[in-house]
Amino acid sequence: MESLLLQVFNGLINGAFFALLSLGLAVIFGMLRVVNFMHGALYMLGAFATYLLGTSAGVSFWWALLLAPLAVAALGIVLERLFLRRLYDVDPLYNLLLTFGLTLVLQDTMRLRFGIQGVPYGAPPLLKGAVVWGNLLFPTYRLFVLGFSVMICLLTWWVIERTRVGMIIRAATENPGLTRALGIDVDRWVPPVFGFGVALAALAGVLAAPMRNVSPLMGADLIVTTFAIVVIGGLGSILGSVITGFLVGVIVALGAVYYPPVSNTLVFVLMAIILLLRPAGLFGSLE
Amino acid sequence: MTVRRIGWVALGGLVLLLPRLVYEGLALDILTWALFATSVDILLGHTGLLSFGHAAFFGAGAYASGLLALRGGVPYPVNAVAGALVAGALSVPLLYLAVRRRGIYFAMITLAFAQMIYYIINEWRSLTGGENGVQGVPRVLVGGLDLSNLTLFYYVTVPLVVLGIWMCWRIVHSPFGRVLMAIRENEVRARSLGYPVDRYKLLSAVLSCTLSGFAGGMYVIAHRFVALETVHWITSGTVVMMVLLGGMETTLGPAVGAALVLFLRDILSTWTDAWGVATGAIFVAVILVFRQGIVGTLQRLIQSRLHPAPQSAPRRPDEATPVSR
Amino acid sequence: MKRWGVLVGAAVLTIAFVAPAPSQGQVRLTSGKIVIAVLNDQSGVYKDLSGPTSVEAVRMAVADFEQQFGKFPGPVEIISADHQNKPDLANVKAREFYERYGANIILDVPTSSAALAVAEAAKELKRLYINITAATTQLTNDNCNKYTFHYAYDTYMLANGTATEVTKKIGKNWYIVYPNYAFGQDMERSFRAAIERSGGKVLLSDGTPFPNDDFSTYLIKARTLRPTMHVLGVMQAGGDLVNFVKQYNEFGLRSKGVNLAIGLLFLSDVHALGVQAFEGTLYTTPWEWVLDKQSREWADRFLARTKVRPTFAHAGNYSATWQYLSAVRRAGTDQPDAVVAALEGFRFSDFFARNAEIRRQDHRVIHDAYLARVKAAGEVKEPWDYVEILSTIPAGEAFQPLSASKCKM
Repeated sequence: MESLLLQVFNGLINGAFFALLSLGLAVIFGMLRVVNFMHGALYMLGAFATYLLGTSAGVSFWWALLLAPLAVAALGIVLERLFLRRLYDVDPLYNLLLTFGLTLVLQDTMRLRFGIQGVPYGAPPLLKGAVVWGNLLFPTYRLFVLGFSVMICLLTWWVIERTRVGMIIRAATENPGLTRALGIDVDRWVPPVFGFGVALAALAGVLAAPMRNVSPLMGADLIVTTFAIVVIGGLGSILGSVITGFLVGVIVALGAVYYPPVSNTLVFVLMAIILLLRPAGLFGSLE
Repeated sequence: MTVRRIGWVALGGLVLLLPRLVYEGLALDILTWALFATSVDILLGHTGLLSFGHAAFFGAGAYASGLLALRGGVPYPVNAVAGALVAGALSVPLLYLAVRRRGIYFAMITLAFAQMIYYIINEWRSLTGGENGVQGVPRVLVGGLDLSNLTLFYYVTVPLVVLGIWMCWRIVHSPFGRVLMAIRENEVRARSLGYPVDRYKLLSAVLSCTLSGFAGGMYVIAHRFVALETVHWITSGTVVMMVLLGGMETTLGPAVGAALVLFLRDILSTWTDAWGVATGAIFVAVILVFRQGIVGTLQRLIQSRLHPAPQSAPRRPDEATPVSR
Repeated sequence: MKRWGVLVGAAVLTIAFVAPAPSQGQVRLTSGKIVIAVLNDQSGVYKDLSGPTSVEAVRMAVADFEQQFGKFPGPVEIISADHQNKPDLANVKAREFYERYGANIILDVPTSSAALAVAEAAKELKRLYINITAATTQLTNDNCNKYTFHYAYDTYMLANGTATEVTKKIGKNWYIVYPNYAFGQDMERSFRAAIERSGGKVLLSDGTPFPNDDFSTYLIKARTLRPTMHVLGVMQAGGDLVNFVKQYNEFGLRSKGVNLAIGLLFLSDVHALGVQAFEGTLYTTPWEWVLDKQSREWADRFLARTKVRPTFAHAGNYSATWQYLSAVRRAGTDQPDAVVAALEGFRFSDFFARNAEIRRQDHRVIHDAYLARVKAAGEVKEPWDYVEILSTIPAGEAFQPLSASKCKM
């Protein structure tokens, strides 16, 4: 029983990363209709930024939580201005391919610079150790990751659903022409929103750095699972991506315990089932 | 018209002389990838569906042919044809589900399914050898002729590849192909005209996957080996890049793209370790400024000489972005 | 070969003949040159273990050999390529080496799946292949062939040393975690057999995805298996091992009494994570530079040339190159079949392989192996001085006995 509880906890942690990543993807897709293949690479850059800030500037993990996403978001905005925006007029598939190409460049550049094995990064001293509760052991850092990501997801939801800024973004997403007609400069919002989505990915990377191996390909296979989650949850729904992310994390963790060989494929089987029964996704609507 | 004929003869000569000009292994790779890329173009260029998972079918064809050759003693090219059929059969259920969504979703779903196939091939060790792959695949022609000599094998494979590429051409230059084009241009309208759009898309995809499987079958016999890398999504991305670089929707574009990318890879890998950066950079450049690809641009130049008329970049009005420039 | 013996021999030869040893000049080279190819991972997880430095080790070996015995009648070329730990790429590169560049021999090849692919190519194209850095026992069992030799170590040697020692001294009940691919499965099999031979028991054995970031599932299981489980055996290698040990420490398992045994540990892993993370770990190794005076002398020369201390892979590549060139000399030609005959059954002892024999039946090169322990941080006296050799496992015992071999050449 306790083992089950621990595995569910584990699954929630993994789900937290999925939630953050699919949240970022959903925000970017909602606004720009761009499926950002780079998301995995940006997550990786967030982790590396944390490492670099720590080793070359002595910046602590706590500051990195703020600075790394900002830095990576800045890079993301530069890439958006330089490359992505040129393709808004044509089929969105081109932007998918473009971000695929950029992913290769980013991943390989990091590989050339840091090697494929990656670099080590430790948890901040405050969060080391574990919380023991009877027979259960919860590493403190993982508790932090869970709590922090839930907070970020709630914050994002609140901003988008309950603030004026969010209202503008939602309007621009649903009907840009009408929004423009109402006097709002929709185009001005594109870079910040893109940057925000990127920042979410980078934040996931910062959180991952002490837990996972910081290596150039750390985001590569994560992105494909994230895509599957996004299809399951339905793009464009903030709540949908978050809930689906956590859900899938738990399901995959439990699968890894009870029948390891299929744990990798479980998320894709889920995706197939959703496509069969409810193609729009759990929380989406067919366009 | 004679210019065209000379062009075809020159191409034929180049293909026949290729093993003299480059290492035979590279020449064979160019052949098999040319077919692979051309089959991908059926779906991408002509039907307007980007599949990010074609490596799964290329790989499925390769694994099936390799295993049939190794464990079943099936000769070439029967094993390659069988591989094609296996790939086709595999594609039916997966793509049936995938065509239920359009555009971007289709791409993501194919990517996800291909990843699933990757994991399954990895796990099903008793069949596929898992990480080790299928090794020591025999290379024997129907009738018993030993094809160990790589050059001989090349010349046996040329007509097969030509046949495959011709089949791709035939599929798209047909009434069926016309409907695909209609679906690509305006799916809603095609549907409103009464065409069972999903069925057409599915058939187009299955044909594309079958021919990719055929290419895979030839690939495994050429290398006498297949392993997981062949079904990884980077392979899917690479073949799409070849199609784009060479020119979507053109007959020879994908083949030209394949040849170019493989050449580049061969030359670059001896000098530099930065193959990934170079590939990615080329990809980005092609998408930004060179979307017609080499052959496409050439065709345009020739067209504009003959009929000067403005043509715009492909538009998908039913999926217009909310943000315009 | 002992260095002093070589020096005396060289002195005798120089006295006896004015020109460099004529026997060297009488070696017949079928293509007018010898091409030695080194295929390994030059950009990935095994880059530090082997990588470009191994190519340097091979160069050093060729230079030293020719200096001692005189130049061959043609040039000795050294070429290399990166297989990125991918068997497809290894297959392609191996064939290119043999067919396009006329390589006489391929050396190194880490990663079991790549190693097997090259063995297949060597068999088909009938050229030599000495594998140094891969672990799979299949090279001398199911996949053995006339032209393939396995040099430094394999999973049997690792398991035999570590599992036996740990089962006897630390605990009988094991929980094995292994990466679910060829190497990991091979390790699991070998360890399981060795544990059972020593009177121990494998309670549970879990295959993890490979590569894998997150081992928390298994570490949690390890906690819940106690107190009946004494030893957690981990078979991951390279980056995965680093991850595993990191998380093992994160979950505080050492203080909970979960002892850690590592299947395959390289000096470069300890260097990457630091001695403290691995402190006290027992493992088996074919060679470490701190072994004795002879190995230290060689390691000093290596350090001067490459600026790093050698791993056993670097040393193994040097030794294998030397043995290959010796065999060519003995055979009087570089023709593959003749060289194979010169290698088979040969006994030797050099700074790397002590009491070695190249077994005729399965082409396994057997030699002494060593049980080692990772030092505590306070015991480290100089850079790279991370391990201490505890005992020697004689060549006859260290490797799989011929009676158990599945090799049919």
